[in-house]
Amino acid sequence: MSFARQTIQAGLYSRFRPASVSIGSSLTSAAIRSAVAQRRLIHSSRCTRASQHDHHHEEQHTESLHSDMKLLHGRYPETPLYADLNSNANIEKFKSGERAIDKAVHLFFLTEIMRGMWIVIENFFRPPYTIMYPFEKGPLSPRFRGEHALRRYPSGEERCIACKLCEAICPAQAITIESEARMDGSRRTTKYDIDMTKCIYCGFCQEACPVDAIVETQNQEFSTETREELLYNKEKLLANGDRAEAEIAANLHADHVYR
Amino acid sequence: MVSLHRTIRNMRRVGLREWWRQMQYIGDAKSGVLVGTDQISTNSTASRRFGNRYFENMNGEEEVPGALGVFIFNAYVLLKFVGRQRWVDFAQHEYHASQVPPEWHSWIHHIRKDAPTNDPVIKNLTPPWQTPWVENLTGTRGAFKTYNTVAPKINAWEPKTISRGA
Repeated sequence: MSFARQTIQAGLYSRFRPASVSIGSSLTSAAIRSAVAQRRLIHSSRCTRASQHDHHHEEQHTESLHSDMKLLHGRYPETPLYADLNSNANIEKFKSGERAIDKAVHLFFLTEIMRGMWIVIENFFRPPYTIMYPFEKGPLSPRFRGEHALRRYPSGEERCIACKLCEAICPAQAITIESEARMDGSRRTTKYDIDMTKCIYCGFCQEACPVDAIVETQNQEFSTETREELLYNKEKLLANGDRAEAEIAANLHADHVYR
Repeated sequence: MVSLHRTIRNMRRVGLREWWRQMQYIGDAKSGVLVGTDQISTNSTASRRFGNRYFENMNGEEEVPGALGVFIFNAYVLLKFVGRQRWVDFAQHEYHASQVPPEWHSWIHHIRKDAPTNDPVIKNLTPPWQTPWVENLTGTRGAFKTYNTVAPKINAWEPKTISRGA
């Protein structure tokens, strides 16, 4: 017999108990058998106790449901409903003196303060964890996406061939490109503007670029005082690339095994 | 000042003068090996001359060691906190984070293991046309001011009047 079925049965018996008492002793043996389960059930099913209570104290008041909350508010000077769950001796112990929650608070909070202070003392003698920016800096990935740059070939020729793939894929539409054929016949950009205030640094431009021309460098300290300083043009992007070429190339070299 | 023992130890190592300088700038007494100094060239202009000194202390007992993590089920679990074992002593009083050139930037950010002075990858990939690093000049007269790199497409109408000959 599963436990669930037993509890259901016990609930039924307890509900029918006043009736069974009045009818006779045909069901009493079954009621005793399920007494253990019934006691467990007392916590969850209030109506069983309520019906029993009504049966005994019908003349005192007419409300059908009782709870210990009403005793707390002092409306009914009665014995607690669930007093029979524990023996009287167990309850007497806790009737005087500090309340249990007070004791728990004093014990737990006092030791908690002491434990917290111990951690403070421990860390006083340990090397500090605070990274003192800008003197020390935390680790960065070689794939970090910061300020943009336009790269050049090792010969010094600019890489960008004005295919406009970055302009097409840019979700913020921050890139503007215009191109013309150069004097030697190769097509290059005449205008390569990135609005860094629009850019969301998603890195799609460097993913789309077929010649690794537009990259996002690891520089993250390019905040400016005014907004218009962030409207980068081609000269600025090429200058960024010229300054950081060693770092960009080393990062691409570190990452090439994963691509 | 975080640990008296550490402060006194590092002060004895680096000397009182260097310790005082560290307390004025970094705010913490540190001792380590001088790894290198970045771009100082006599012919470069003042904004491009830094001369910052870069230090390293790889002793895990003295400085908090580097990030030590593992990949567990597609997630990077950081076992130890990131390190303080690399630091820069800025040459300028008006120091700024962008005064670190890119090669040293990748070293101090723990992107590259070796310092750029003895990193073969950085050395091989440095082109001859690389220009010196310039710090972020915002708020100064050297700040970037954008301009158009193509001829304007919309021009104001310039009327050509014919004299009436009166």
